Amino acid sequence: MVEARLELHDISKRYGGVRAIRHADLTVEPGTVHAIVGENGAGKSTLIKIIAGAESADTGTMAFEGAPMHLTSTQDALGYGIQTVYQEPQLFAELTVSENIFVGREMVKGGRVDWPAQHVRVLELLDLLGLPARYATRAVGDLSIAEQQQVSIAKALAGNAKVLILDEPSAILTDSEIEVLFGVVRRLTDSGVSVIYISHRLDELFRICHEVTVMRDGETIGTWLIDDLTVRKVVELMVGGAIEDHPETRTTSDAEPRLVLEQLAAAGHFSDVSVSVRPGEIVGLYGLIGSGVAEIAEVVYGMRHATGGRILLEGKPINPRHPRDAQKLGIALLPANRKAQGMFAFQPIAFNISVSHLPLLSKAKIWMDRRRETAVARDMIQRLSIKTPSEQQPISAMSGGNAQKVVLARQLVERPQVLVLAEPTQGVDVGAKEEIHRIIRALAAEGTAVLVATSDLSEALRISDRLHIVRSGTTTREFAPGASQADVLAAAAGADEEVPA
Amino acid sequence: MSTDVSTPSSAPTPEPAEPSATKVARRILPSPVTGQEWVLVAIVVALWIVLSIATPAFGSASSWQPLLSSVAPIALMGVGMTMIIITGGIDVSVGGALMVAGVTTAKLLVDQGVSLPVAVVAAAVLGLVLGLVNGFLIAYGRVHAIIITFGTANLFQFVGRQIFASQTVNGIPGTLDFFGRGEAGRTLGLPHSFVLTLLVAVGAWIWLRHNRSGRHLYAIGGDPTAARLAGIQVQRLTLMTYAATGLLVGIAAVFTVASGTSTLDQTIGSGRELAVIAAVVIGGTSITGGRGSVLGTVLGALLVQIVASGVTQLGWPSQLSDFFVGVAIAIAVGADLIRQRARQQR
Amino acid sequence: MTPEADITRTATPAAGAPTPEPAPDRTPSVVQRALRALLTQRIVLLAALLVIVVVWMSVLGAGGYLTGAYDADYLSGALVDAVPLCLLALGELIVIVSGRGGIDLSIGSIVSLTGMIFGFAYGRWGWSLFLSIVLAVVVGGLLGAVNGLMVAYLRFPALIATLASYYAYKSLALVVTNASPISDQRVGDLYSITRSVEIPVVGSQLPNVPLGIFTFLIPTVVVVWLLAARTTFGRRLFAIGTNDVAAEWSGLDVRRTRFLAYVLAGVIAGLVAVYISGQFASARPDAGTSGNGLALPAITVAVLGGVAITGGIGRVAGVVLATLLITWLNAGILLAFTGNDGTQFQLLALGVVLIFAALLNGLTTRRFGGSR
Repeated sequence: MVEARLELHDISKRYGGVRAIRHADLTVEPGTVHAIVGENGAGKSTLIKIIAGAESADTGTMAFEGAPMHLTSTQDALGYGIQTVYQEPQLFAELTVSENIFVGREMVKGGRVDWPAQHVRVLELLDLLGLPARYATRAVGDLSIAEQQQVSIAKALAGNAKVLILDEPSAILTDSEIEVLFGVVRRLTDSGVSVIYISHRLDELFRICHEVTVMRDGETIGTWLIDDLTVRKVVELMVGGAIEDHPETRTTSDAEPRLVLEQLAAAGHFSDVSVSVRPGEIVGLYGLIGSGVAEIAEVVYGMRHATGGRILLEGKPINPRHPRDAQKLGIALLPANRKAQGMFAFQPIAFNISVSHLPLLSKAKIWMDRRRETAVARDMIQRLSIKTPSEQQPISAMSGGNAQKVVLARQLVERPQVLVLAEPTQGVDVGAKEEIHRIIRALAAEGTAVLVATSDLSEALRISDRLHIVRSGTTTREFAPGASQADVLAAAAGADEEVPA
Repeated sequence: MSTDVSTPSSAPTPEPAEPSATKVARRILPSPVTGQEWVLVAIVVALWIVLSIATPAFGSASSWQPLLSSVAPIALMGVGMTMIIITGGIDVSVGGALMVAGVTTAKLLVDQGVSLPVAVVAAAVLGLVLGLVNGFLIAYGRVHAIIITFGTANLFQFVGRQIFASQTVNGIPGTLDFFGRGEAGRTLGLPHSFVLTLLVAVGAWIWLRHNRSGRHLYAIGGDPTAARLAGIQVQRLTLMTYAATGLLVGIAAVFTVASGTSTLDQTIGSGRELAVIAAVVIGGTSITGGRGSVLGTVLGALLVQIVASGVTQLGWPSQLSDFFVGVAIAIAVGADLIRQRARQQR
Repeated sequence: MTPEADITRTATPAAGAPTPEPAPDRTPSVVQRALRALLTQRIVLLAALLVIVVVWMSVLGAGGYLTGAYDADYLSGALVDAVPLCLLALGELIVIVSGRGGIDLSIGSIVSLTGMIFGFAYGRWGWSLFLSIVLAVVVGGLLGAVNGLMVAYLRFPALIATLASYYAYKSLALVVTNASPISDQRVGDLYSITRSVEIPVVGSQLPNVPLGIFTFLIPTVVVVWLLAARTTFGRRLFAIGTNDVAAEWSGLDVRRTRFLAYVLAGVIAGLVAVYISGQFASARPDAGTSGNGLALPAITVAVLGGVAITGGIGRVAGVVLATLLITWLNAGILLAFTGNDGTQFQLLALGVVLIFAALLNGLTTRRFGGSR
């Protein structure tokens, strides 16, 4: 038998107190496409970071073509021919496509960059990826995101990859672009390159992959040949048999909907989205990354402007132009990206909670009412069981789950009529996730209309009274409570429709 | 915005059969002159024409020769500053460094009677050392460049004034006349200092455009972390950039001393750092790093001096020229911002 | 998890700030904790340096190594120069804290230009002192508003916007009187605002203090401190400086807050213009721009005082301590050297202290995993 291209054995990795992966095994054969699938937080991204040298494993061994491999930096990994294309392209906007492809390893002749030699190679790569040749001289900043990602792939290929890691390459690509990508991947595997393919769109796996390794809760469940699997089987492996639980079937009122989205659209992101939320109801919007779920939440909160359709609040059309407008209408939003959009990193907890409520927590809207600020912060710390010695702790010193609760607390101070939660439990540990869900249910029980936009399936199923699936920027199906995980995931992954040609 | 949304399938790529190297090189590189630079060229030419008509004296050689002489030191330091700003840094100590190199050169000329080459080498080496101090602290101290260079600006001024010893340097001989404003400082009517500056600028332009390390400066300014991950030696290049700037400041000090009178006072270098930054910024280099060109900086320095010269020759108060410099900065950067925004919307 | 980890916000924790829990009883030794505080907290470091400088200089003075007496009277008199420096550094604190590369290079030019306008109003047009000061402050605010407009609304990089206005204002200040100062009698008489006075009641035991400390410095320090630490504006300012994306998501008016920061810096510069006109007994068109100008020292003192150039961090107390440190260090240096050497060694001292503090900061945040 041929030596495996890449072999990982018993890999574990902790971040602080959180076990990101444990006892993970992976064997990638030469010239194959090996998919790694799993829900968000299953440990996929940590695993590929370890393979790419960006993180080092706490325990376990790695071998490359049979010989032990030790990676301490991404440079080491590159030395082995392990190339990674991340979701966020690591490109230099001001440099041309050609320069980006060769940055850090330019061809040099006579002390100068050998542009003609590079150009020949660049043209090959562009041709391979189906990009026009004139793109070689375009600044990367002038290209679309999808095109930038293709440049990232070209960059990885220019380095004579032996293992190419594609992290969710299809999330931001159109169908025809995906076709091109698959063509590239097939040509690469034909020439012996191993491709590690991460994707949430399970239907894709059956068109491109040879083997599938399933991860769940930081562990590798196993590896199967694709021919032995179906979409449903993969889904069942991902979610595990165990947790088909719906802890409590809550009864919701038949009151008039508080928030209604009518054929809402934002050009380029989503269209024809119709959802309604009643007081006391938790409505889930489940969609994969890039499906438009996040943007829907942004429009409701006034961070993004709708280009079509209507938003109705208590039956009256509203048009928030800024988060301030939304807040005045009683709409609060927990942003999806905690670090970038939520946290004031080195400021205290109290600061982080009060920052959206300065008029309320002040005298004459000018002087901070520090006593009330402290009282509110302490009340929130207690109500949301935030673990901290004091409300004066900087939020940056807290764990992900606690920090998320602080950002959530900020949304609750003025008891919003409508609470929109975008990815409420991303990057938090299991315990905190449980607690956050409990808090959300308690809020709904008090009459708040809750809209949860998430790409976490188990969360969508557990928390929602009703669940909408968002796919390709529109709401496709609605599920009642008690829907099976497999059905929902299959719907979102596009397996209930014919595979596009 | 008509963006290019050509689907890949509809893009025929006629592969040219063995294209000649120069032809390929031309097509593989972005346009050598940016929009901002064309605009600057247009403004410089337009100003030149308008001022020549308004005040006939402006067009005379006795007017533009000193003008080019005074452009030289700013543009020369600007070449270095452009590289620094491209990497996302800044150097507010060039005024202080200019003082140190200038007064040392003057003292060497007066006390030691050194020759021109010795003076130039001494000034350049001294400048290089000061630049290395900056570069070392910034590259390895991991402190923001503006803070370090605020600090070294004070240090350099201290050193400079110590060398001045609270006096002016008097009786500077004509050793440096080759770079001076007089007849000896010109060939074919062009000041040597300006010609040398142009040569350095062209060299730097080629280096930034065609050399591996030159291209890496842009990458560092664009995203230092990604640059490091791409295997670029960020710290070493950063150090080198500040060192090179120091060296150029040393030569600029020679020009400054050469084009002055036989007396050098302690105002040398004062406020020059801002004048240099202004020239760089007017030239279209982005203060946030990753973008810019030496050509623009030379044009920016030229524009500033033409405005200053024009203001005096029109009989306006000479101090008014700074007002126009401010306006020029605002317009140049404003125009650039508008272009950037238009681009992001595609 | 010690309370002193909060190095970011409130200026003086003593002033009624509830420090709810004492440090948990993990008993690192007192020495360890003191050392750690010294290395990680700018305020502690500055206070220690201040004590060292004053004690050391006093010892040198007592030993006869200085050309004059480094005593309380001398230190008190030296505060005349601290007033404009501290005020402008507070102005820089506000704009630097506002984030996104906030800085104001034009603050010295604003002093020059508003000084001239003040000179006209008070010296030539015969306005009352009060109205003239109001005019100076309003003009300063307007000039700052131009910066604010460019930075906050047009999204110019602050360094560039204020470099442009630095040139423009500096030029206008010189052009309005053709570069001659306004030294009319009334302006000349203003010199009295910088004289030293005896503090009432307890003053007989204490040295006389420059009047400007009471009329300019203390009120401004208190107002800026209240603004930064006690008002909703202060909260918004630190919020946008810490993370302006999160501030936007929190519903704050990021642009208006940043705009106001530049206006405030201009207002403070207007006050300084009045003070400096008094100090020089004339309104000088290059008051804020001659030599190194006033902006660069002000930025230097702000940074030395612990204001993070990246925004969101900075305390009024730090800036005040940094001003005192530099002022009294300078005063000592003046006595330690004869002639112009003194002013030259002041440059050295400022440069060394700044670089030292910056490097130390970089080192300790890495070593102790400080606030960033």
